[in-house]
Amino acid sequence: MGVSEQARPPVIATRRSLWQCFRDALAPILASKVALVGLGLVGFWVFVAIFAPLISPYGPLEQDPEAMNLGPSAEHPLGADHLGRDLWARLIYGARTILVLAPLSVLCALAIGTTLGLIGGYFGGWIDEIVMRILDAIMAFPVILLYLIIIVTLGPSAINVVIAITIAGAPGIARLVRSLTLDIRTREYIAAAELRGENPFYIMFVEILPNARGPIIVDAMLRIGYAVFAIGTLGFLGLGLPPPSPDWGSMVCKGRHYIWLSPWAVLWPSLAISSLVIGLNLFADGLREETMRYQ
Amino acid sequence: MLLTMFIVSIIVFGITEIAPGNVARKILGAFATPEQEESFRRQLGLDHPLYVRYLNLLIGSDWRAERFVGMPLERIKRPGTEFYEWWAMDEDGTPIRWKLEGEDLIALRLQPDGTVIKSIDNGRWQTDESDVSTFWGIDMHDRAILWEKGSGQTYWLRTKAGGFWVEKASGAKKYIPLQKGIVRGDPGISVQTGRPVAETLFRRLQNSAILAAIAFVIVMPLALVLGLIAGLNEGKAIDRILSIGSLAGTSTPEFATGIFLILIFATWLKLVPGATVFTSAKAIFEKPEMLVLPVLTLTLIELGYVLRITRASMVEVMGTAYIRTAFLKGLPYWRIVFKHALRNALMAPITVIMLHVNWLMGGLVVVEAIFGFPGLGNYLYKSGLYKDIFAIEAVALVMVFLAVGTQLVADIIYTFLNPRIRYA
Repeated sequence: MGVSEQARPPVIATRRSLWQCFRDALAPILASKVALVGLGLVGFWVFVAIFAPLISPYGPLEQDPEAMNLGPSAEHPLGADHLGRDLWARLIYGARTILVLAPLSVLCALAIGTTLGLIGGYFGGWIDEIVMRILDAIMAFPVILLYLIIIVTLGPSAINVVIAITIAGAPGIARLVRSLTLDIRTREYIAAAELRGENPFYIMFVEILPNARGPIIVDAMLRIGYAVFAIGTLGFLGLGLPPPSPDWGSMVCKGRHYIWLSPWAVLWPSLAISSLVIGLNLFADGLREETMRYQ
Repeated sequence: MLLTMFIVSIIVFGITEIAPGNVARKILGAFATPEQEESFRRQLGLDHPLYVRYLNLLIGSDWRAERFVGMPLERIKRPGTEFYEWWAMDEDGTPIRWKLEGEDLIALRLQPDGTVIKSIDNGRWQTDESDVSTFWGIDMHDRAILWEKGSGQTYWLRTKAGGFWVEKASGAKKYIPLQKGIVRGDPGISVQTGRPVAETLFRRLQNSAILAAIAFVIVMPLALVLGLIAGLNEGKAIDRILSIGSLAGTSTPEFATGIFLILIFATWLKLVPGATVFTSAKAIFEKPEMLVLPVLTLTLIELGYVLRITRASMVEVMGTAYIRTAFLKGLPYWRIVFKHALRNALMAPITVIMLHVNWLMGGLVVVEAIFGFPGLGNYLYKSGLYKDIFAIEAVALVMVFLAVGTQLVADIIYTFLNPRIRYA
């Protein structure tokens, strides 16, 4: 008893405070101006999405017959669409949907892709061969084709959009994770864990995965950008969320018919998608540069 | 590659045909009765088991139908028209089809001049023990059919003129829609238009290829040159402008780019038409100005990406030791750039360009949907909206085939460019 208590290292000296952990995690972001700009753009949309009801006096479906197709005014800061719905309100409520759906679909893809990649990379052999063959086949599809046929079969809805993006995204992640796993598998600590007789799934998820997290996180950031793009495109093609939900892509699609009267209904959602995607890309780029530098 | 295509075909088939029930509903509209739906599905052969349908799609159904009919089946061009039709070949070599009128089987024999001679052909009925007369033959809608005498079966037919459905008497018990299969170049009949998919597909593919080729020819030199300029002037104003421009270009959704180009060039400036309208098969050459906006949109989408890769690659190469050595040797600047740096710097972008074909096709789908351009992408989109499953499958497989094929070509080109890589 006494021996083991002595052997335990003093807790306070090694354990960092929560704030320190937070600051360490933030350090690469703060160090890179590019990442900061990206974080700012993304942060802006997250902020307006969270506080949407407080920011805009209108709801996304409220109609003002006097403001139809009008440009920016004091009442409607960004103008109103063909049904007199406030564009700013629709934009920020649309940010809510897209900021839930995009990360959600990437998370699903991450969960599936990581698992498959770990299994393929760690076990190797015929399991690896089969898994990778199938994933290669999926990756051979142009993504938009995959989205189209999946959504066409399942019907347009938020969940099906998530499913489509998950199926299209998982193989890429699996490939990345597999290559990282193949590298990490040769390290001594994995051999040590195997020698201890650890469960292969313990090794995969507790030993390998945390050590592969850097590139995976950067990749996931980029993928959220693609997902935003994809959701917008699907919305534009009429395969995204069913109307009248405020979806950026379908806003463009609807506004397009009235573009001769007022280009605003198309301009703002397009800008919103661009800024969010640029923000995510810059954030990922900055993050990658910084993490590379430390390695 | 063959294996990949095989898996791809299973995936495509699986996704599109696992739930075919709503195909009928989509085509027939919301007011179709269950009988109409059932009849429609049977006529399309959607009541067959999954593996049979998969084989039909892949290698056709004529060989299967031949066993039942007992005569060779052939797809021949009807003299005087441009339609291909399925006919059974009688012993004397005349093409023959049948129809049922009341209790009588009518044989239709195609003469070499395109006319059809009708005759009653009741001798072909085969009567079994329970006194039921049946006959396997080819009908006038390119299907192998098992007729049963006096069964009182009816089927629903969509009239060509009104598009509404009429019930007709027929003795058809089983249908096998005839097709040669996608491997043999015939993915079936479009559910939506009733015309062979392959015909439409080929024309659309041509249009898309022209569009993509023009965009490709414009984008690639432009992107490579601009990328090199940006890479050589790293950190200077021109690099900043090009980098930010390319970032904005790639981050703007294709549809937004397209719509704003229409707004600016077609609506405000009235320089070029904002939509592509094809009045004839050769319209693409008669009115090339229709292509300006689609090509411009594709260019803007693609430019940024290749530009960024080229820039990064150039920056990397210019920082290497052998370039510094060249500088130290006192070689002239342009000589260093063109003789030493260029070839190595172009390696990455060229592979990326080839791998980018996937991306280009995605752009094509959206651009063609915006401009109403009758290309492959638009075909996919429209048949997707109408759940025209055979068309979807065919387009999807063709697209994937093109993508996989270009990747193979990219691999081969890469070995030529980079002598360090050798494939055993």
